[in-house]
Amino acid sequence: MAYFQARRDFLKLATTGASATVVIPGSLGALGDVALRGEDKFIRSICEMCSSRCPMEARVVNGKTVLIQGNAFAKEMGTSLCAKGVAGASQLYDSQRLVKPLIRTGKRGENKWREASWDEALSLISTKLSALKERYGARSVIFSAKTGEQYDLLRSFASAFGSPNFENSTYILNFGHNLFEGLDIPLTKAMAHFSADPSKKLVVFDPRFSVMASKANEWHPIKAGSDLAFVLALLHVWIRDGKFDKKFIEQYTLGFDKLVESVKETTPQWQQSLTGIDAKVVERIAAEIYTSAPRCIIDWGHKATTTKAEFQRTRAILMANILMGNVEKEGGIYFAKTAERINALADERVAPELNDPYPRPRVNEPRIDGAGEEGMYRFVSRSHGVLQAIPDAILAQKPYEIKGWFLTRHNPLVTVAHPQKMKEAMEQLEFIVVNDVYLSDTAMMADVVLPEATYLERDEGISKSAFKTPTYMMRNRIVAPMHHTKSLIEVMRDLAERMGFGSHYAWKSIAELRAFQAKGDAELLQTLLMRGVASFDVPPLLALQPSSVERFCERYPKSSVLRDTQGVFSHFLRSLKTPSKKIEIFSAEVEKTFKGYGVPRSVDMDVTQGHPYVLTSGKSAVHTNGHTQNIPYLNMLLSTNPIWMHPSTAKAHGLKMGDTFYLQNAISKEKATVFITEGIRPDTLFAYMGFGRDAPQLKRTHGKGTNPSKLLSLESATLCGAMITNVGVTIVKA
Amino acid sequence: MQKQYRLLYDENLCIGCQACSIACRVENSVPDEVYRVQVHMQTMGIFPNLGMHYERLSCVMCENPPCVSVCPTNASFQSKDGLVHIDEKSCISCKYCILACPYHARFINPLKNVVEKCTFCYETRVSKELSPACVSICPTDALTFGDMRQSNSLVYQKSHKEVLLFPKAHLGTKPKVAFIPNRKGAKS
Amino acid sequence: MSPMWGSVEQYSTIHWSWAIAIYLFLAGLSSGSIIVALLVKWNRHERSNSSIWDAMIKAGSVVAPTAIFLGLLLLVVDLGRPLSFYWLLIRYNITSVMSLGVLFLLIYTPIVVVFMLLVFERSVIKHPFLAPLEGLINLVKSFHSYAKIIEYFLFAAALCVGSYTGFLLSVLYAIPLWNSPLLPILFLTSSLSSGVAVNILIGLLFFKSTINTESIKYLLVLDTRVILTELPLLGLFFIGLFYAGGDAPSAAKAALTEGFWAGIFWLGVIGVGLGLPLLTVIVALRSHVYRVGYIVINSMVVILGVLMLRYYIIYAGQIYLG
Repeated sequence: MAYFQARRDFLKLATTGASATVVIPGSLGALGDVALRGEDKFIRSICEMCSSRCPMEARVVNGKTVLIQGNAFAKEMGTSLCAKGVAGASQLYDSQRLVKPLIRTGKRGENKWREASWDEALSLISTKLSALKERYGARSVIFSAKTGEQYDLLRSFASAFGSPNFENSTYILNFGHNLFEGLDIPLTKAMAHFSADPSKKLVVFDPRFSVMASKANEWHPIKAGSDLAFVLALLHVWIRDGKFDKKFIEQYTLGFDKLVESVKETTPQWQQSLTGIDAKVVERIAAEIYTSAPRCIIDWGHKATTTKAEFQRTRAILMANILMGNVEKEGGIYFAKTAERINALADERVAPELNDPYPRPRVNEPRIDGAGEEGMYRFVSRSHGVLQAIPDAILAQKPYEIKGWFLTRHNPLVTVAHPQKMKEAMEQLEFIVVNDVYLSDTAMMADVVLPEATYLERDEGISKSAFKTPTYMMRNRIVAPMHHTKSLIEVMRDLAERMGFGSHYAWKSIAELRAFQAKGDAELLQTLLMRGVASFDVPPLLALQPSSVERFCERYPKSSVLRDTQGVFSHFLRSLKTPSKKIEIFSAEVEKTFKGYGVPRSVDMDVTQGHPYVLTSGKSAVHTNGHTQNIPYLNMLLSTNPIWMHPSTAKAHGLKMGDTFYLQNAISKEKATVFITEGIRPDTLFAYMGFGRDAPQLKRTHGKGTNPSKLLSLESATLCGAMITNVGVTIVKA
Repeated sequence: MQKQYRLLYDENLCIGCQACSIACRVENSVPDEVYRVQVHMQTMGIFPNLGMHYERLSCVMCENPPCVSVCPTNASFQSKDGLVHIDEKSCISCKYCILACPYHARFINPLKNVVEKCTFCYETRVSKELSPACVSICPTDALTFGDMRQSNSLVYQKSHKEVLLFPKAHLGTKPKVAFIPNRKGAKS
Repeated sequence: MSPMWGSVEQYSTIHWSWAIAIYLFLAGLSSGSIIVALLVKWNRHERSNSSIWDAMIKAGSVVAPTAIFLGLLLLVVDLGRPLSFYWLLIRYNITSVMSLGVLFLLIYTPIVVVFMLLVFERSVIKHPFLAPLEGLINLVKSFHSYAKIIEYFLFAAALCVGSYTGFLLSVLYAIPLWNSPLLPILFLTSSLSSGVAVNILIGLLFFKSTINTESIKYLLVLDTRVILTELPLLGLFFIGLFYAGGDAPSAAKAALTEGFWAGIFWLGVIGVGLGLPLLTVIVALRSHVYRVGYIVINSMVVILGVLMLRYYIIYAGQIYLG
């Protein structure tokens, strides 16, 4: 992910001329050409069919990839992989893939092109970018890529909390974190084993009977947008009855009194009308969780619905975990154990640390989406963007003039709210480059389209992936790039050279980049080339679990000094990145900018805007939000998205299975077909994402299904900037 | 030493993600729009008391395979390990076996015009001591494959621990694929 | 759960279609017509000069080989790989009814041809363009002394061919509508019915000079009996299905009440194929009217009904699986 940031700073680099010395520690020669290509029969790499980035392994026969499966060197993967991952080859060999750079000949968006050579395309881009920089400054060009897409910010907020530890938990509350349709293999697998275990309990809240709900002991069809109300009622019950981990609250947190105050009125009875869930259920579940604490998880992961109060919702869920005192304990939630953290605790070099390979000038330019800046999106992590803020920024030319956009492998005209407005904004730009595998809806708006090499054709740098122990992964090329495609790194490096700042990079080729990152650690590189992943023999550490800490101290005796009288690493939870270094139940910093948001509170939960129905959307197990719908093997499985509707709703509107109707609100009126199912609340509708495309070149998807984004408003969740992925609609008969 | 293969399908672990279907397609170059394996899901019950039924559709490798007994040219045959295979060369594509199969496991390969079905990936994987592609790929370990003659195999141990059902057992076909029925939710 | 597992067409494909239905019909027609011819020969012809063949026998001896050759041609062409049909002849599987069918047909077809040549011996020799066949005729002539044995053998082979098509379907327990022990008998009786009709039809149209009204009368009585057997057989067939286990009752119910094929059953198979001829035969017999046009239409209706029964069983079996 790091190199995505490089792109953002790419042009700034050209401006500020920050110096970087070319130092390549260690010898490349020692690795040799064979090592750089990996084994010839099995090549291990990282999947990129979605953003979960699972370690995978491809069998290659005669230069053609055969079966792609999970990389068993990553223990939590085994050989497992999802349908999208296995269909990687179907994208690789797809006849509808882009193979040559295209330069626009008609009007913007008119879909008229001529083929060009790489040299011509890149020199055009470098000329144009240089001109824009000259005229408007480097900041006038946006660089964005897939990881920024669909970013729901709370993930970055919660990412500080690492991951839930499903395996050893006994009770999980799941608010639509649909791991069985939005797959992330290690988490999905752990959750599957959890839900299939009769001794464990899984409770799912989702307006729709999702696959996840079908695996639950209890499914509560909660009203869209009301997760927060239920959680606040849980907090209320625990605090009312004094049933929470008082010691933990006292030792590691600040601002508990503010929470006591804010949940005083949020009783189980209060939440009934908001969630549609009986007050007795709240009481019972509160008691059950408390009994199983700390081996319980209240899961804050990706949700079924998003409201303006998204920040509050996710924060309230985190507080619920904190009240149960499950942090850094067996069966609870834990902080990611990066190499840096582990090395610091062990006070020795347990796992290698990496060099940052990208020159990163410190420039205090405000970001156009406001991420990480004072103001609306103050708390959005800077490594993620707020895509739905871009159209307004372009149209208003605020906070400064925006004239160009360089997009890689993402498709905001399908995946981001209100694409109509996005398109309008794109029409205002002087220069757009899209780097993608397909001529997508967004690519059609470009001046230059670059045919990207798929992940199976790319070598990349080392990336980090820390869970209970530090892990590194590396993308290794499976097959030689087909046709005339190039990777983004190659393109960027080439452009840097053409624009005259190539010398700022410490590396010329991927091999050099890797060696630089690894600080010349040949063993690490060798492992990553051969195995795709590198993990280190570190005992999994939970800082507040005495047995775990003891094991760690036995292995790394120098760490014993950090152990407190209770036999745990309590300082670990007192050296967080918050102003007070502790867990802040009340954040003064947040409260200062966003009044009422400093502590979980009942606000902004409406998702209907006065309409009778809420249109929600989500993933199926066979597609991502926007990239995979046209891939042959996956398109074969699911090629359109009829709207889920309860039989009583359908009856009320005189609709039968397969009938056509319209979804309407203030933003748009979209045609749809109906899929009638018992598996959804009568006041809720649901659509799989990524359909309703307008790109004629995507022959398999063109004109099929409905794009729910077209009905979404550009309004974002307060503070975190998360895209609000559901919206109130009215059903109109066709 | 002959094998006694068994494939266990745990409905409780299956999430219907179709990874098996794609893995099968890739491993066996299954032509577009036909399937050697699919997992179907069906919502049962009345809102809000619902359940989901998961069903794996593929060859169940009968011990008494009706497809083999009806084949006029012996193109459908049973190997010494008890697996049912099709000899493409002598298959005249009369489709008698397709009609004889109570599991709808067989279909016409539109490119070759011969009858095709799941082989447990015998040629490319199982004969090389690898699991079938669907088993290997399954994101949730819902499939377990192995030799029931080996008491230390996972499939043996799981078979003795769980309640197993054999699809359409009343027909007396004795399938080598068994399933562990769903324990949660409404059943009808 | 909205479907996300791709096409399900392969589970509902009609693998055996019109070609097989017609083949089943033609095989039945062939065996039925030869059985009828032999019955006429044995029962109505003993005292007459054996060289003057009754029109019914002539008709049967022509229809049987023609129908079976057409049927076999259709069968081979309908294979997914027609050119590989030779595997059927070099590999046998005794548990496969299809394989047994091949054996029956290998015996039946040449004898039917021999029988035809015996019947038409003289006309063949008369025609100069058939001269090349003379060697064959001479060979056939040498069979004269075995004629009776050949006839018995042919009768047995025809019974096998007429009923194997029923067994072909009835052994498939995956298809509830076919998996009935009554199906072979049902097919055999309707084959006889079509044999009667086709022989009368062809006899009236092409061999008028040798028509023997006694034979026709005999056949019409026979046909009435066959139809009267067939009706209760069909009833028993469905009753059997309703009392069978598994999917059979719901499949049978659907096949009798749902959609196009239920209509074909009631109107085509029962109404046109059995009801109409029964009515006309009874009327005709009672009033002793043997008007040619009347009988021709009656025969065509019977044949149509038998064809529709094959169509119905073939399609409904594959569509209504319970």
